[in-house]
Amino acid sequence: MTRTSFQTQVSGDALDRHMADARAGDRKAYRQFLAEATRRIRAMLARKVGADSELEDVLQECLIALHEKRHTLDPGRPVGPWMYAIANYKLIDHWRKRGRSRLVLDDEVEMDVAADSFAGMDIAALLGELPEAQAQAIRLTHIEGMTNREAGEHIGIGVSAMKLRVHRGMLRLKEIVDEQRP
Amino acid sequence: MTDINSVLDQLASEGASPPSSGKLRFAGPLLAVLALCAVGAALILDGAFASMARDGMGPIAVKWGFSLILLGLSAVALFVLGKPGRPTRAVMIGVALPFVVILTLFGVEIATTGPMVYGETWRQCLMAMSVMSPIAFVGAIYAARSLAPTNLRRAGLVAGLFGGAVAMMAYAPFCPERGVGYMVVFYLLPILAMAAIGWALGPRLLRW
Repeated sequence: MTRTSFQTQVSGDALDRHMADARAGDRKAYRQFLAEATRRIRAMLARKVGADSELEDVLQECLIALHEKRHTLDPGRPVGPWMYAIANYKLIDHWRKRGRSRLVLDDEVEMDVAADSFAGMDIAALLGELPEAQAQAIRLTHIEGMTNREAGEHIGIGVSAMKLRVHRGMLRLKEIVDEQRP
Repeated sequence: MTDINSVLDQLASEGASPPSSGKLRFAGPLLAVLALCAVGAALILDGAFASMARDGMGPIAVKWGFSLILLGLSAVALFVLGKPGRPTRAVMIGVALPFVVILTLFGVEIATTGPMVYGETWRQCLMAMSVMSPIAFVGAIYAARSLAPTNLRRAGLVAGLFGGAVAMMAYAPFCPERGVGYMVVFYLLPILAMAAIGWALGPRLLRW
């Protein structure tokens, strides 16, 4: 049994199944894979950029990147982490290109970060300057795409505490960026 | 929605099979700069392995051992960093290990004979490192760009380590110095400097 066919049989994720079939030569399965990826990435982006035209631009960039970089997905590895890593990268790159970053603070509140705030900045390095709890909160909600409830459950705290951590982390991030600005 | 559907149709029409030359596009630049630096050093420099008659295999074994292991580990790390969604902590720890070993040996040298840092040929050594490291670094950047690194600083740093390791591997046979302290100052520090440059330039050079 090949690794790919083994994956097809054991994986319950539609993305994995479609990709395995697509790599076996089924073009219809590849179209289904792309459609499913579109649905999931759109949901992720909706939490981060809101449902405006910007979302569709980033979504297209993500899909093209998934296709062009499909050789970096090893057979047998789950598609999800690979797909979300590319989507997050393209989202951050999109913000850098625009020279403006709007990050969704939490499920209800939005915080507009001033123009050029994150242009040319390394988000990972910025997060490294935050207390670990705040960095983890931002990483889970803004980079890995979890809701505040999911992130709170993941690290064992309530939704309100999670929102507070994200909020404080975002404020501190903004201060750091302002301090670094010449 | 229509736009997205037409994008999906277009992408799907190209199929899911990745291009067959993918691995070659990664390994090719790495092997090319490795060969370029090794052959270049052999053509330009004289006296390969001349110090072996005096010092035996020990010094060259340590220099080659360190540089080849670092070269291999950094190539693997670069490959893993180029695969989105893969955990990278283990490979980053891996590239740090050769440095830990050499610093441990340096500690032993300090405790036994005292630090042997000075060497007559330090200028030639620094020149070789400063010429060949950037050449090999460029090859590593090309290799990384054939994949999809998402942590560009980390990938740039590892490309710098690869560049330095290649330069050290190519120059080591021509180096008559034998102190571990010398190796730390005139090999490891230039390699780390190249890595720091890679860390700084990664976001510019590796963006895709």
